[in-house]
Amino acid sequence: MAMRAALRCLSANFSPRLPQLSPAARSSAARLLWRSGSPRTLSSTSALSAALKFTDKHEWVRVDGGVGVVGISSYAQEALGDVVYCGLPEVGQRLEQMEEFGALESVKAASELYSPLTGEVTEINTELAENPGLVNKDCYAEGWLIKMTIEKPEELDSLMDQAAYDSFLKSLEE
Amino acid sequence: MMSQLRRSFLTLLSGRWRPASTCSQLFQDCDGGGGLVLHSQCTDVYQNLALEDWIDANVDLQRRHVLLLWRNQPAVVIGRHQNPWTECNLPVMRTAGIPLARRRSGGGTVYHDLGNLNLTFFASKKAYDRQRNLKVVTDALRRLRPQLDVQATDRFDILLNGRYKISGTASRLCRATSYHHCTLLHSADRSALSSVLSPSCPGILSNATPSVPSPVANLRDHAPSLRLEELMDGLEQQYNAEFGLGAPPALVDPTDESAFPGISSMAAELRRWDWTFGRTPKFSLDAELRLLDEQTGARRPARLRLEVRGGRMDSCRLDVPADWLPERLSLALSDVLLGERFCPFRAAAAVCTLLRSESGALHARLRNLGDAVVSAMG
Repeated sequence: MAMRAALRCLSANFSPRLPQLSPAARSSAARLLWRSGSPRTLSSTSALSAALKFTDKHEWVRVDGGVGVVGISSYAQEALGDVVYCGLPEVGQRLEQMEEFGALESVKAASELYSPLTGEVTEINTELAENPGLVNKDCYAEGWLIKMTIEKPEELDSLMDQAAYDSFLKSLEE
Repeated sequence: MMSQLRRSFLTLLSGRWRPASTCSQLFQDCDGGGGLVLHSQCTDVYQNLALEDWIDANVDLQRRHVLLLWRNQPAVVIGRHQNPWTECNLPVMRTAGIPLARRRSGGGTVYHDLGNLNLTFFASKKAYDRQRNLKVVTDALRRLRPQLDVQATDRFDILLNGRYKISGTASRLCRATSYHHCTLLHSADRSALSSVLSPSCPGILSNATPSVPSPVANLRDHAPSLRLEELMDGLEQQYNAEFGLGAPPALVDPTDESAFPGISSMAAELRRWDWTFGRTPKFSLDAELRLLDEQTGARRPARLRLEVRGGRMDSCRLDVPADWLPERLSLALSDVLLGERFCPFRAAAAVCTLLRSESGALHARLRNLGDAVVSAMG
């Protein structure tokens, strides 16, 4: 009985599922890339990253056919560690710029997500339900989070481009 | 129990404790930086979780650290992205009157009672450091009882003797703020804990964050003379030492709307079905139903398949032998369930409505099927 109780207590305390650390190789590679001033982790994203706009909360948005595609930056995914769940909004939800729209869970932490723009959610990345690790693996392409309409295009101007975001990251480290 | 608890707080209050007349006064007192140690007078899980939200939203955490100590009457608290039907035994909890709460932080399911102490470490997002916070706990325990072998792990648990979990962690990161809370098992009711932390119903498939069971222990079993008050004192002193603070702890009452404007609606939000159950990640249920042929006494195989989104039944399929119950009736039963909450009481009410339209042998079989469907929901 005592044993059974002990085993059952098991879930007694906060405890998620995956090993917490990102593979050392991946994170050190990402760090190296980042320190050298190039946050691109994949050559295939280089064309896209030129068009990325960043918030100071480390979300990015890319305009694609009049729709904003939203994700988190490589810096952010590395800081989070292995993402085990993506809490995303419903299609059709209206978002204000910088409004919370969900949370990513990693290593027992829920990190709130903030919308880079004002608009309506038109699509969510359903792949993430089965494979939340895509956010770590490929944050600028397959690991996108939501797509949204762009109601106030001028909001894009207030976001950082790649070069400004790189400087911002450097200022954080100092 | 409540009155005992109040008395003990009042005793503490008469010593070095000070009451918090208004919390804005408290926070002004430490303006210029520094920090605060707060102790919740309330043992209601929703009010205490609301107090965390309130502090996170209203206190300037950029230049100060805040530690909140709190305990709850028996309650089960699930992580933000968890499924209550797989994490805890809702029928047992209903019978025992144990409430379910969903917190805004990540992580797994915990059982709380007055023998479990909760610590919430508030800081700016920049100063968020879970290992430093856990060091406060392990250093305090080592100072209080040097014979205790306690260690924080890479997963932010605290283990006793390298094996038994005495503390688990969860946290929430917002725009510029963060909080990290952890449990500390002092003298929790382990038999209650094991009976409530079992699944409500089998057959659920979900991507929700599952809890990872570990063997747990109470501190009191390994340090019988360590009283809860001494433990709390030791933790507060260690926190003040670690963060260079000197203020005495302040008692706060999270039910006091005048001290914490807006806190009642924050607590009400946490009590709502839409948050505790409705925020469950979508899941499916595939359950075998036990139907009994009343004439032959033989088991008839049947199956219930459900998709549940936002806690409500989004699609429903019942496979029932057509020679036992006409398909129109199993379809009608599926229909009345659609859009309903995944909840045995709501399902039972829907089944009752349908039963009124049938009589005779089919009525009994439909009731039999309805009962089986309801019991599949825990």
